[in-house]
Amino acid sequence: MNQPGYIRHHAVVRITHWVNAFALTLMVGSGLRIFNAYPAFARRGETFCCYPFERRPIPAGLTFGGWLAGARNWHFAAMWLLVVNGLVYLGFIYLHGEWRDLVPRRGILRDALEMVKFYVAARRDHPRQGKHNALQRLAYFSMPIVGIFAVLTGLAIWKPVQLSLLTSLFGGYVWARYWHFWTMLLLVALTVGHVFMVFAVDPYSIPAMITGRYRERWSPEARNARPFVHLLPATAAPSPEERHEST
Amino acid sequence: MSQREPWRPMMRSVPSHPAERAGIDRRRFLLSAAGAAGAILLDACDSNGPRSATRLLRLAERGNEKIERALFRHTSMDVPASGARAAGPSFPSYFISRQVPVWDDSVRGIWRLEIGGLVDRPLKLTLPELASLPRIGYRLDHFCVEGWTAVATRTGVALRELAKVAGVQPAARYVDFESFDDNYHESWDIESAMHPQTLVVYAQDGHYLNSAWGAPARIYSPVKLGYKNTKYLTRIMFLPERTGGYWSNQGYEWYGGV
Repeated sequence: MNQPGYIRHHAVVRITHWVNAFALTLMVGSGLRIFNAYPAFARRGETFCCYPFERRPIPAGLTFGGWLAGARNWHFAAMWLLVVNGLVYLGFIYLHGEWRDLVPRRGILRDALEMVKFYVAARRDHPRQGKHNALQRLAYFSMPIVGIFAVLTGLAIWKPVQLSLLTSLFGGYVWARYWHFWTMLLLVALTVGHVFMVFAVDPYSIPAMITGRYRERWSPEARNARPFVHLLPATAAPSPEERHEST
Repeated sequence: MSQREPWRPMMRSVPSHPAERAGIDRRRFLLSAAGAAGAILLDACDSNGPRSATRLLRLAERGNEKIERALFRHTSMDVPASGARAAGPSFPSYFISRQVPVWDDSVRGIWRLEIGGLVDRPLKLTLPELASLPRIGYRLDHFCVEGWTAVATRTGVALRELAKVAGVQPAARYVDFESFDDNYHESWDIESAMHPQTLVVYAQDGHYLNSAWGAPARIYSPVKLGYKNTKYLTRIMFLPERTGGYWSNQGYEWYGGV
């Protein structure tokens, strides 16, 4: 019963995933260093309503670039890696069909609630799912959308005069800078949640994102896995799909 | 709470291929964990990043400059947000000298703004002469490279008008703005210098500039980041080549466009 497993992620998806992880790390680190040059949002002579930590810098250890110019140079170089990589990914999943695994389906919120119930042990069995559960779908679908907003708000504060239309769309320079900061917070929050769930629920997704290999009995659904529970692979009879594959 | 760990018989059987799993998958797991840790470390040290990346960063900067110059329009005008309050006295002061640079007429002679280089009629203008030229005022945003903005009304002479008076030659592709604030200067592309909102400013918020803000005159344009806008102006040189600048020579983008 030595099942060969299958390729869970196409090579393009695997490569763009890790390039994105690298580019985002650079962008967030250098962005925080840029932010520290003026860790506030208020226009000079004004106060800003909506940021409680005005003038308190981000801890230097979380930043990258060393100084403002260094961080800017990294930020304005890595942005092309992020954008080109993002376009390759989105173009690929659009043409190759992977988008179907990500777009929200009818009833996704109800399904997401069922997942939450399962994770807090208010439900006994793992909800049925396809490639991803409802929470994953929501996260992986919103990630590129937040990313697009990060790029647009970034352009708006890079060229607020030459692209003034875009900047005014976000409420002007001060607000565009604020939204740019929020897109970073959202991307970091999604990433932290994602990485936590990878280690707590589905560590087998790491090899699946490197070599592509995955087996159905490794899946959280087969293991009935919730955070830190049932981390070992399932060894019972393989699912119908796997039985089909191994013959 | 028996509910917390659902009992499933299928989970309890012995793994059928422990060696395969323990060997290959752990190795893969460790490999990827090491990769992730490396990425985090790269960020966690507040470093400049690897030296070898410098050339790549330069390449990106040159590419960005091309894009910025292609995006540039003389008709793109800065209009501060309608509700924005003028910074007034809270407008930051900045210079590189140890003390506020002050032009002392008794030591250096009367201050004159020199306009030279590739021009048919070099000019040397005193402040009253400058102030007698057609005056223009704009309420403008100031975009600092640090990320802050400030609104002020800038009054002076449009540089494009001065360029007409001086008769700038077609070979002039760059402009260098020199100062008496130590060796501070910054050079620009001619297109940005000829933007209608690029002004030789001698008054801010309705008063002649004070020494903290660059008196007697400074260059100001909302199409350039703050550091490109030389204060304590002495000379405006029209040149065939770019001549760098105080901050652009230290790592900030030479173009510094907004």
